Amino acid sequence: MPVQLPGFGEWVAAFLTLAVFSFLYRDNVIYRVAESVFAGISFGYYVGLARINTLQPNLFEPLFGDFSNHWILIFPFVLGVMLYLRYVPKLAWISNWSLAIYIGYYIGVNLTQRLHGEILPQAKGTMLPLAGEPFGQILCNLVVIVGVVTVLVYFFFSSPHRGPLKVTAKLGIYFLMISFGASFGYTVMGRISLLIGRLTFVVNDWARPVVQSVIGS
Amino acid sequence: MKRQVPILLAIAASLYPVIAFFFPARGINTFNQGLDEWMVIIASFALLLGIISMIQVNLAKVRRRAKGWIFSVLTLLAFAVMASFGIFGGQGETVLADGSTRLEPFTWVFQFMYSPLQSTMFSLLAFYVASASYRAFRVRNIEATLLLIGAVIIMIGRIPLGKLVFPFIPEVAEWIMKYPNAAAQRGVIIGAALGAAAMSIRVMVGIERPYLGKS
Amino acid sequence: MKWAQKLLLVDRRIIFLLVFLGALIPILSPIGLIVQVSPPVRAIFDRVERMQAGDAILLSFDYGPSDGPELDPMANAILRHCNKKGIKVLGISLFPLGGVDMAFARMADLTRDLGGQNGIDWVNLGYKDGGQAAMKLMGEDFTAVFPTDADGVPIEEIPLMQGIRNYGDLEMAISLATSVLGEWWINLVNAQFGIDVAVGSTAVSAPKYYAYVEAKQAIGVMGGMKGASEYEELVERAYPDLAGLSRTATVGMDVQSIVHLVIIFFIIFGNIMYVLTQRTRREGI
Repeated sequence: MPVQLPGFGEWVAAFLTLAVFSFLYRDNVIYRVAESVFAGISFGYYVGLARINTLQPNLFEPLFGDFSNHWILIFPFVLGVMLYLRYVPKLAWISNWSLAIYIGYYIGVNLTQRLHGEILPQAKGTMLPLAGEPFGQILCNLVVIVGVVTVLVYFFFSSPHRGPLKVTAKLGIYFLMISFGASFGYTVMGRISLLIGRLTFVVNDWARPVVQSVIGS
Repeated sequence: MKRQVPILLAIAASLYPVIAFFFPARGINTFNQGLDEWMVIIASFALLLGIISMIQVNLAKVRRRAKGWIFSVLTLLAFAVMASFGIFGGQGETVLADGSTRLEPFTWVFQFMYSPLQSTMFSLLAFYVASASYRAFRVRNIEATLLLIGAVIIMIGRIPLGKLVFPFIPEVAEWIMKYPNAAAQRGVIIGAALGAAAMSIRVMVGIERPYLGKS
Repeated sequence: MKWAQKLLLVDRRIIFLLVFLGALIPILSPIGLIVQVSPPVRAIFDRVERMQAGDAILLSFDYGPSDGPELDPMANAILRHCNKKGIKVLGISLFPLGGVDMAFARMADLTRDLGGQNGIDWVNLGYKDGGQAAMKLMGEDFTAVFPTDADGVPIEEIPLMQGIRNYGDLEMAISLATSVLGEWWINLVNAQFGIDVAVGSTAVSAPKYYAYVEAKQAIGVMGGMKGASEYEELVERAYPDLAGLSRTATVGMDVQSIVHLVIIFFIIFGNIMYVLTQRTRREGI
């Protein structure tokens, strides 16, 4: 079966991948070119993404296509444009009005999210039974309760950590260290996953077909 | 007016979602829904704010002929091309007259340039985490020892080879994740949520004014 | 001991080379290790497995290309599972750096591998700005957030969307997330709208989600490439006719096994060298 050579896109992707990997040896011009192109494409991507996915269907089409039913969209349009007045020194103060509404809204949403969606359910999840369960489960529940309380005590900095507070906070640190160790282990796995993805592409999608077509499969 | 109006607007905008949450009456809900729709649009404008700063910084470098200015030219060129594809073209695939499909230029650049560049940049971290593990991970005290023990158990417990070497280790790793790790993470979540809630209230009553900037 | 000191200061490019070889060799010559399934992943699988044909789920592609190796296999496994069960999938994205294009690619993979039609079996509604604002709005009305799908087709003309107005018409939401988006699905959408939520997260974020799973705020969590390989394993056990399809996460776990051992070796060896150099320093005083 004839080997299918990688397409133009795969060649471009492979070149850019190797250009970035070259940084591991040392900083060089090819890497800097790849880095600069990446920065430019990222910002350009934001522009296209916002236009195609949000501004066009949610603002421009309803506002200019059916103004009588969607005239109210003038307000978010104006508020959005006002944000850019921060780059005009004499009018920068106007952008603060729009920013105040934008930040204020998310502050309000965040408050209910934190109280209703995190503090209460997490506190409820910590109220675990210490009787009426198998002994092993009771021990595990105790680990959770002690862990949560001691970690919270550690983060309480309004009083100096002395005496019983110091011992409790110390235990909290030990729980945190176990958790950070677990996080480190997962972080290592996460970073390696990224490397696996790139190497798999370079080897299986680019290098292998090229080598096979040159030397024969 | 330059200070008082934004403060009043921020207080009103932050109070409304909270009032709508506790009093889900029809009229309040309708305006709340409208506010949500507005925020989706305003967020889109906000997303693009940083682009002007990027253009200003790079143009200044080019004008001054600062060190590495040629790379700024590349950045601006790449931005202009990608933005043009996004403004004047579409996304995904287009079906041609003969039934075949062709990627839109915007999606082509994403798939074959942006995606490999971003993925490879992040994959460099794998090498740096290995280097840091060798040079910086030192077991100097009890805390570091606990961190090391937790890390090694999870790293061995989460790989298929781990069960072959130590048959019980996947269960030990799962127990660590489910109990001591979950407890510590819960403490962090509650602590962070309390701090964030306190900060929100400070903004809602006008003590903190992040929207006013330097003024 | 001078050799211990020299080894501690070895050029880091040698470390890079060892990591590179540790990753390359299993890619060139796969081992084929068996994956063990953990309870949080099984919980998600079981929840989807209990659904009936015609039910609908929301799959949110809240990640970009840099998270692809971990989350793409999860997306593929979930899409294949839903396809076999006849479950409709609403694909959306709330992550600006590439989510919508990851969704395009995964839906294309599904169509290539198992068939399935855009607008009938699955739909890609695209990306939307606003984060929490969009999440709240979807609780009322999807059309307010997504008037069209990612190809510009009005949502009223999409057969899959008939009878789906908001979260109440869905069985669950699965977020494949990097950053805080996964948390928002839990602490906002699940908390305020009551819909079952599961998260497929990058490995870096996975430890945090255990707190949510234990508090019953999330059904389960798939953490990183390991979680993806577990879901692939469960899908293939339940549907052996999918055996010929790619299992990138399972293959990736072979590489993970080797490189993890390399890094554990570095940690232990580095500490041994450190202890030896400290001893030399103390003896020298």
